Amino acid sequence: MADETVIKSDLQFVKRLQEYGGESLKKCYQCATCSVVCNISPDDKPYPRKEMLMAQWGMKDQIVKDPDIWLCHYCGDCTTYCPRGANPGEVIGAMRQACIEHYSFPPILARMVSQMKFLPVLLAVPVLVILAVMKLVGTLGNIPEGTIKYSNMMPLLAVDAIFMAAAGFAVFVFVNGVRRYWKDLNAEVSPWKAKLSNKSVISATIEVLKDFIVHKRFKECVTNYTRATSHLLLVLGFIALGIVTAWSAYYEWASKFGLIPHKESPFAITEPIKWVALVGTGLMLYGIYLIYQQRQAKANSSGFGGYFDWLLIWVIIAVGLTGVLSWGLRLANLASLAYPMYFVHLVSVFFLFFYAPYTKMAHLVYRTTALVFAKMQGRE
Amino acid sequence: MNASNKKILVIGGGMSGLTAALEAAESGAQVVLVEKTPYLGGRVAQLNKYFPKLCPPTCGLEINFKRIKNNPDITFYTLTDVTQITGQEGAFNVTLNVRPRYVNDKCVACNKCAEVCPIDRPNDFNYGLDNQKAAYLPFDMAFPLQYVIDMNVCLGEACQKCVKACEYDAIELNMAPQTVNVEVGSIILAGGWDLYDAARIDNLGFGQVANVVSNMQMERLAAPNGPTNGKIQRPSDGQEPKNVAFVQCAGSRDENHLPYCSYICCMASLKQATYLLDQDPEAQATVFYIDIRTPGRYEQFYWKVRDRENVELIRGKVAKISQAPGDMVEVVAEDTATGNKVRRTFDLVVLAAGMVPSTKTDKLPMAVKYTDDGFIDPTGLPAGVYAVGSLKSPLDVAKSVQDGTGAAIKALQSLVGR
Amino acid sequence: MEMEERKYGVYICQGCGIADAVKLEGLEKVTRKGGKIPHIKSHEILCSPEGLEFLKNDAAAEGVNCLVIAACSPRVKYEEFDIPGCLIERVNLRELVAWTQEPQHEETQALAEDYVLMGCAKIKKADIPVGAPVEIERAILVIGGGVTGLTAALEAASLGQSVVLVEKEAELGGLGAGLFQQTPRTYPYQNLEIPVVFSKIKEVLANPKIKVLTNSEVVQTDGQPGLYDVTIKTNGKEDVYKIGAVILAAGAKPYDASKLGHLGYGQSDDVVTNWELEKIAAEGKILRPSNGKPAQKVVFIQCAGSVDPDHLPYCSAFCCGTSLKQAKYVRQMNPDSLAYIVYKNMRTPGQYELFYKHTQNDPGILLTKGDVTGVQVADDGSLAVIAENTLLGEKIKLEADLVVLATGLVPATVDNPVINLNYRQGPGLPDLELYQGFADSNFICFQYETRRTGVYAAGAVRQPMDMAAAMEDAAGAALKAYQCLDHTAKGIAVHPRAWDLTFPDPFMQRCTSCKRCTEECPFGAIEEDAKGTPFFKINRCRRCSTCMGACPERIVNFKDFSVDIIGSMVKAMDVPEEGIRIVAFVCENDAGPAIDAAALHKLRLHPAVRFIPVRCLGSFNLVWIADALSRGIDGIMIMGCKYGDDYQCHFAKGSELANYRMEKLQETLDRLALESERAQFFEVAISDFDKLPKLIDDFVARVDEIGPNPYKEF
Repeated sequence: MADETVIKSDLQFVKRLQEYGGESLKKCYQCATCSVVCNISPDDKPYPRKEMLMAQWGMKDQIVKDPDIWLCHYCGDCTTYCPRGANPGEVIGAMRQACIEHYSFPPILARMVSQMKFLPVLLAVPVLVILAVMKLVGTLGNIPEGTIKYSNMMPLLAVDAIFMAAAGFAVFVFVNGVRRYWKDLNAEVSPWKAKLSNKSVISATIEVLKDFIVHKRFKECVTNYTRATSHLLLVLGFIALGIVTAWSAYYEWASKFGLIPHKESPFAITEPIKWVALVGTGLMLYGIYLIYQQRQAKANSSGFGGYFDWLLIWVIIAVGLTGVLSWGLRLANLASLAYPMYFVHLVSVFFLFFYAPYTKMAHLVYRTTALVFAKMQGRE
Repeated sequence: MNASNKKILVIGGGMSGLTAALEAAESGAQVVLVEKTPYLGGRVAQLNKYFPKLCPPTCGLEINFKRIKNNPDITFYTLTDVTQITGQEGAFNVTLNVRPRYVNDKCVACNKCAEVCPIDRPNDFNYGLDNQKAAYLPFDMAFPLQYVIDMNVCLGEACQKCVKACEYDAIELNMAPQTVNVEVGSIILAGGWDLYDAARIDNLGFGQVANVVSNMQMERLAAPNGPTNGKIQRPSDGQEPKNVAFVQCAGSRDENHLPYCSYICCMASLKQATYLLDQDPEAQATVFYIDIRTPGRYEQFYWKVRDRENVELIRGKVAKISQAPGDMVEVVAEDTATGNKVRRTFDLVVLAAGMVPSTKTDKLPMAVKYTDDGFIDPTGLPAGVYAVGSLKSPLDVAKSVQDGTGAAIKALQSLVGR
Repeated sequence: MEMEERKYGVYICQGCGIADAVKLEGLEKVTRKGGKIPHIKSHEILCSPEGLEFLKNDAAAEGVNCLVIAACSPRVKYEEFDIPGCLIERVNLRELVAWTQEPQHEETQALAEDYVLMGCAKIKKADIPVGAPVEIERAILVIGGGVTGLTAALEAASLGQSVVLVEKEAELGGLGAGLFQQTPRTYPYQNLEIPVVFSKIKEVLANPKIKVLTNSEVVQTDGQPGLYDVTIKTNGKEDVYKIGAVILAAGAKPYDASKLGHLGYGQSDDVVTNWELEKIAAEGKILRPSNGKPAQKVVFIQCAGSVDPDHLPYCSAFCCGTSLKQAKYVRQMNPDSLAYIVYKNMRTPGQYELFYKHTQNDPGILLTKGDVTGVQVADDGSLAVIAENTLLGEKIKLEADLVVLATGLVPATVDNPVINLNYRQGPGLPDLELYQGFADSNFICFQYETRRTGVYAAGAVRQPMDMAAAMEDAAGAALKAYQCLDHTAKGIAVHPRAWDLTFPDPFMQRCTSCKRCTEECPFGAIEEDAKGTPFFKINRCRRCSTCMGACPERIVNFKDFSVDIIGSMVKAMDVPEEGIRIVAFVCENDAGPAIDAAALHKLRLHPAVRFIPVRCLGSFNLVWIADALSRGIDGIMIMGCKYGDDYQCHFAKGSELANYRMEKLQETLDRLALESERAQFFEVAISDFDKLPKLIDDFVARVDEIGPNPYKEF
């Protein structure tokens, strides 16, 4: 009788999943419609039926290290067809949030990001940091008049310092989380664990990235096919903006070391970097707009998503909109509006970077990790 | 009982209504029985066999019809709707609209009218599996055994072929609807149920994949008086199926369709598996289910079928059905016992479609409380009005009979002491 | 009704192809000659208004009061030919001849002529039935004071009936009174209810029509419907009550949990039954019986002893709803607790699904399908439930503070006749073993019909059911009891021949006291006096005519149906020297309509066969075989319903007994060197119309092989 699994049910964890958008999870009666209608769920030990039961039974340990919750791309087919209104898609989303929360350090931050009531506190951090830095560089209440130059408010060096620090923190947390997650994944002796394929971490990662570039798995979600497009646009926007950031950093630092002639920002509209920046912003904004619209339209049938989802959407919208507005207001030479807008822009970007390990942004990392793991197992 | 001038109205001539009417009439009441179709017997008349005894429903109906024939206290109207109910317990005034049959009592059921009729209509008794003529007998054991003309498709006076063919002057194409008023002391509602339209379940292929049929269609396919003379054949090519899937809860226990359990489908599918194996002992029946609901002594029937060699039960709901090559049907479910998806192809797939109370669409001409799903909530019925059978909750024939008998005593009580 | 003067007339319909199929002159000729009825008339369409007017005028003008109507099946035009005060005999020339035979063929003509002759023979022997009203006692006895019995008593009392309610315990209420709360019975099926039994008890005690006897048991039920003398022992003292009909609502008892040791019962005080949990819950807190501490984790094991071949082979039907309800108790009384339910199949049929859905939505109620393999009791008293085949895909161990066994129900009748009938055939209801001890009906379409007229079972003694269902069931049984009294008083049969005024009228002088009738009567209606001579308790009789078939002396007869009537019909046939003649006795409810259906489908039936409908094959008397064989008939078919455990005979034993008699007869035939295959029993269901032509053709072919009846020459 040694082969039986002792069930540890955590009632509080059930309630937490319910808070995170999985409030309907108890309605599931295990018919497995969800596993069947899901186009990307494998035939061997498919999800999310088993995940629904684990959620109902509050089996926290199993849930956080279940890679399958990351194989789901939240298309909502399961929610649409669920005969009980248990909304598996939403529940899986809540599980992903619980997973992020579980692996990101310190857990308290993660809990705060998960709950709307802590939003003011979370916002206060970048506001105070940026105000402090402005005070430090002497621009607080002391921005020179004349042509608007955002470096007048926040020198590039300071920007870099802040965001490098924020990003560095995020990377640290990510690395720490992924390390623990990877360890748990490999230690897991779940009954659903499939056969290992012979793929190495590297070849698996390359395959995952290849799939990712074309959103292969995402597109298999037939119902919400258009979502793949909008998500891809958003991702391309992010990539473009990443390139712009790297590019301008290159200008900044390379010129500092005399490698190239110095180029003063803001860059002229004729500069290719500007084009990329604009296209990137456009893609990002258009992508997030589509996502927003699709969410609203599909809310009834395939799930609206919880606060956790919407937080990221709103942050991205904020980053994009404040970026564009900062640019426009600068060109319109409305200093009294432009600088505050830029401030908000900086705050939102900081928010995006700093809290990345705790927000839905973290899916980038955990999903990739889980997908690599799944690839290695031959689980597709 | 001292109620010679008091009557009971029974609305619905299916098993519940027939039972209520007969039991009340045999207890001394005068009964007016109203049925909207052209015949009495309702859904059970369409069944091939009853579970768990696997006996033909027409046997019990025959007895009930004989009881009606021999009982002067029952008056029945077919093709009749109740259009108005006023008054209260002890003195209801009810208006009936008797739709024209276009065939009068002189009909001898000789079939001459159908032989000459140039127009086809889908045979609704057989759930559209075949056609019948616009002048038709609903089915061979119909009571009353009298033809009827479907004026929606009949060419009318322009054709007159049936009128000329009838040697008995039985056809009256200009027959008019009649209004009948009855005064009754109490009313029994027994409107019964309709089959859920499986085409609304867009992932189960009904109406799109040829060899996907409903459970009621399966009854007709297996019935000797059905469209295939009792041979179970797949609709696409008439082949006798070797491998049949029974898909439980097709619409039932599903918020997107019918949130309640339809009660009969588990037993019905197990029963239909025996139809298949009786036709072809080599055939294979696979039942996909969430919970096998065979309450009470029905469990014995479940065991009997389950233990047959060619019967397999898989716990998992079928959520995808699609066309496969060779007129086959692909079915996908997760077998929750193994935790793996099952993808199989079948010759024929039977959807265990559920029950919809007739009051979901046909509301009664009186103030009655309905549930969100269209059932009658008995707590919201006026005094002297009683609901029976599947109007209250899905149930089987045995329970309908039980309920119909119980309703008769309530209706009688309404008459007593008045 | 004895008719003072009988004047016969034969009326032949020419419609529906009859005139096309046969020569009317031929029919008229045999009617006059063989049928000895000179008054013969025919009409183009006898059932038309003109035809009926013609018929009635002619009968009135000529004083004809015994009419042979040779037209269609009596199942079709039934009202039309019903002429008050007249004896009517229907000859089915349409279905049996015109629609199933080759028109104008010599064999067809012979067939039609035989049917007319048989009709003439029959009407001469038949009489108009008259009922025999009796003075009866109208009180209804309700056995069992649980929710079913209370409801039945109230329903019957509401119709003005006086009721005697017998309860074996000191208090009314039965199992229902042991409940803390009750599963919801009404939409939206969410809120638990106060057990309905308490208000029922109050109503019953306040009802002047209901006499309540607690601490009481039925010692003996003697007599017959309308005239029972029931001996009831109350607190040790016996009294006799005059009773009309009985409602058996003795209920059920919980399955003996001491047999559930494998589930830990008896090994730990913290393993309790669902019934025991009701008592725990009634205290307001779910505490562990072992130490009085709150139970944080409660595991419910469904089907504890039910759907189990080693225990109860049926589902007890209420336990899933009950465990959901009790899980709600657990959670309501302690919001931090967990209630696990391990089920085999979650059975919340119909709208109870809404209760399931509502209840499982509680975060602390955890469900899985699974097979519990055992309950472990550790040294420290802690419990663990082991289950396999779970939805978690693995064998699991659930730690528990309290384990609740969802135990089912055993009907009171499983080991106790309860009603203690003073019947020759025994004190209990027959066939109980077919229904796992439940006092159920065999008939899907007639739920209250059992083999003991006047006794109607309801509630958990009849079928596994919950209390809501039991209350509805009680109403049905009350109606049937009322109805039985109504019919008995009027001298009419009760179901299924609820119009029948006839009754068995034995010519006792010739009785040899062989007791076959007393043994074979499906309804136990025939008793024996002190000398061993049978006598009828006519109110128990359902007019199935099994006694008529059983009697070797052929002394049991009905006014319109007798051994002699059928024998005369057999003898009335014209049996030619050449060619085969076969007579088929068919059940009028099943095989008969199947033949009509074959005719409607225009199937060809072999012209050598003459069908004689009988009330039930139970009436099949072997003398008819002798009549047939001596008449030179080559083969005899009898067609009846399916028999066995799932019998379809509406008189329970008719076709089984006919088959039994046939087997005995075949032995005799073999001994007499008469090929026993000449006489055969066939199971024919009402839906078997399509199988009839082949079945008949095969039999005719077989008889043809055997050769002509050797008695033909005599």
